[in-house]
Amino acid sequence: MSSPHPFHTSRRQFLASTAMGLVALAASGAKARTLFGTGLPWDAGAADPPERVPPGPWTVFTPREGELVEAIVERLIPADDLSVSGKDAGCAVFIDRQLAGHYGDSSRLYMQGPFQPGLPTQGDQSDLTPVAKYRHGLKALDEHCRRTMEGKGFTDLTPEQKDALLTDMEKDAVAFDGPVGSGSFFSLILQNTMEGFFADPIYGGNRDMVSWRMIGFPGTRYDYRDHVLKHNQTYPLPPVAIGGRGDWAMATGR
Amino acid sequence: MSRLGLATAAAAVALFAAAGTIRADSQDYELVERGRYVAVAADCVACHSVPGGKPYAGGVRLDTPFGALVAPNITPDRETGIGAWTEDDLRRALHEGIGRGGKRLYPAMPYPAYTKMTDEDVRALWAYLTTLEPVNNAVDVNQLPFPFDIRLSMAGWNLLNFEPGRFRPDPRKTEEWNRGAYLVEALGHCGTCHTPKTALGADEDDRALEGANLQAWYAPAITTDTRTGIGGWSKEQLVAYLKTGANHATIASGPMAEEIRNSSSKMTDADLAAMATYLLDQPPPGGEAPARLAADDGRMRAGGAIYQDSCAACHGGDGAGQTHLFPTLAGSGVVQADDPATLIRLVLEGSRGVATDARPTAPAMPPLGWRLSDEQVAAVVTYIRNAWDNAARPVSAADVGKVRRAVAAR
Repeated sequence: MSSPHPFHTSRRQFLASTAMGLVALAASGAKARTLFGTGLPWDAGAADPPERVPPGPWTVFTPREGELVEAIVERLIPADDLSVSGKDAGCAVFIDRQLAGHYGDSSRLYMQGPFQPGLPTQGDQSDLTPVAKYRHGLKALDEHCRRTMEGKGFTDLTPEQKDALLTDMEKDAVAFDGPVGSGSFFSLILQNTMEGFFADPIYGGNRDMVSWRMIGFPGTRYDYRDHVLKHNQTYPLPPVAIGGRGDWAMATGR
Repeated sequence: MSRLGLATAAAAVALFAAAGTIRADSQDYELVERGRYVAVAADCVACHSVPGGKPYAGGVRLDTPFGALVAPNITPDRETGIGAWTEDDLRRALHEGIGRGGKRLYPAMPYPAYTKMTDEDVRALWAYLTTLEPVNNAVDVNQLPFPFDIRLSMAGWNLLNFEPGRFRPDPRKTEEWNRGAYLVEALGHCGTCHTPKTALGADEDDRALEGANLQAWYAPAITTDTRTGIGGWSKEQLVAYLKTGANHATIASGPMAEEIRNSSSKMTDADLAAMATYLLDQPPPGGEAPARLAADDGRMRAGGAIYQDSCAACHGGDGAGQTHLFPTLAGSGVVQADDPATLIRLVLEGSRGVATDARPTAPAMPPLGWRLSDEQVAAVVTYIRNAWDNAARPVSAADVGKVRRAVAAR
């Protein structure tokens, strides 16, 4: 069926032809370019590797704060037949070293205010840095214990007592003195403990890749072509961390 | 006059102007064009230009075992270039290593190879150089320490190490073979990098093209040895390497990448085929392969684990790599070279292949020097050199430390 007005351009035709014209223009602009690999950034020896956390004493925590954090992470991830405890995996060390960096002082966040409560969906709106939250939260926890548990500090409680108290904190049902509530302090330390347990060992936690072995995570491997077609077979290689793995070291002798 | 007519007239005027320029600069377009090709085949630009700078205006610093030399400005600038030179001055420089006014050149300028250049090629090169744009760029060429800074000392060096004379074709060989020999020995001066040097810095003639260390790279053997050289490559594979920078097994990087970008990728297919014919017709140098390390050697065990975790993803558990992306390590000459400097360097600081018109991708390898200790690099390099059917002497942590320091100092 032919159009009654051969030279009449409908709105749809006009739009379509304009779009075609734009595409043609764009294509003609791109045609003469050859992309050379040397245009991509690459410099000999250039690398920005993470620094291995320094060993040694606490860098942010006081000795008492360190004891308290170790006692908490030991209950959040208790030693069992699956893995060592969060304390033995280095989670407290991880948290201490993270607090020593830009995470601890919020130096990469906007912290000038105004500070308003905000909705839960808006995330953390506090004017406190993570270091301040730990200092306030740990102090409030220890004081709460001494006040209500016959003068005992948190570290002196039985495992059952610790678990009961932590469970109440998770429900935000413990009255903490100071600006940090028990519920928000619990979720902060639970979050950081999980990060320490599963992050690369170079950051101080996940000692000997214990969590990766537990869940079968292969670590910093790059490519699995040799295994893609081996269906229903267990992946045979051990995990490898940024800093390598034990087998990289020369065995004794020779 | 129509618009089209105007455009045609304008183009004609432009064409005239261009033709006029060429006539003014030179007598003979064909001669200049041949000279340009001679300059490409001789890769003059490699030393006589800095990356991003004006071509032939000088300025690349060459670190020799005796000290630093900087390649001079060879544009026709009267004050700072060779504008005051004559064709005979250039001929004497190339054939005898003596510059204008009797000034001795240092053999970092490969006159021991260019002495074999034909008179016609020198004449063409001169014609081409005179057409270059003069660039005023003063270069402090001689930065050698005493006593090497005394140019007259080169007279004694020449007496001991330099044999002047043009290329003599071998009448028993084909024309193609002789063209290849001329390109390899004279214009291409392959031996400048690939032939081991004596304590005086001269070519060890009886070990021609057996590989040499310079500027913290090891230029591997390009003999027909099947372990350390290119004896396993076909003529087509060698031509593909020189033309495109990559072939079935490997991808050029380091100084060879520059050579391919500036020189051999721009040579004719016939010339590249001639070079391949000549190179692959040489007798293998002989010499026995070292015994392979046992698989239960501690270095092989640790190196194997590192290889599996850090290298195998690209180069494959079998060392086969992926054509045009990841070089093959099994059977590679660079891998099995007596001097492991290049292999160590590639592991430490990574590498990027050459990009040519035919293969513009230039795949790159990330550096591993931040992740691996000297002992670990030594172990993985020792493993690569002795895995599969490879065989080469083991590498020590001290070898790696030496390369690491040399690379860091650059």
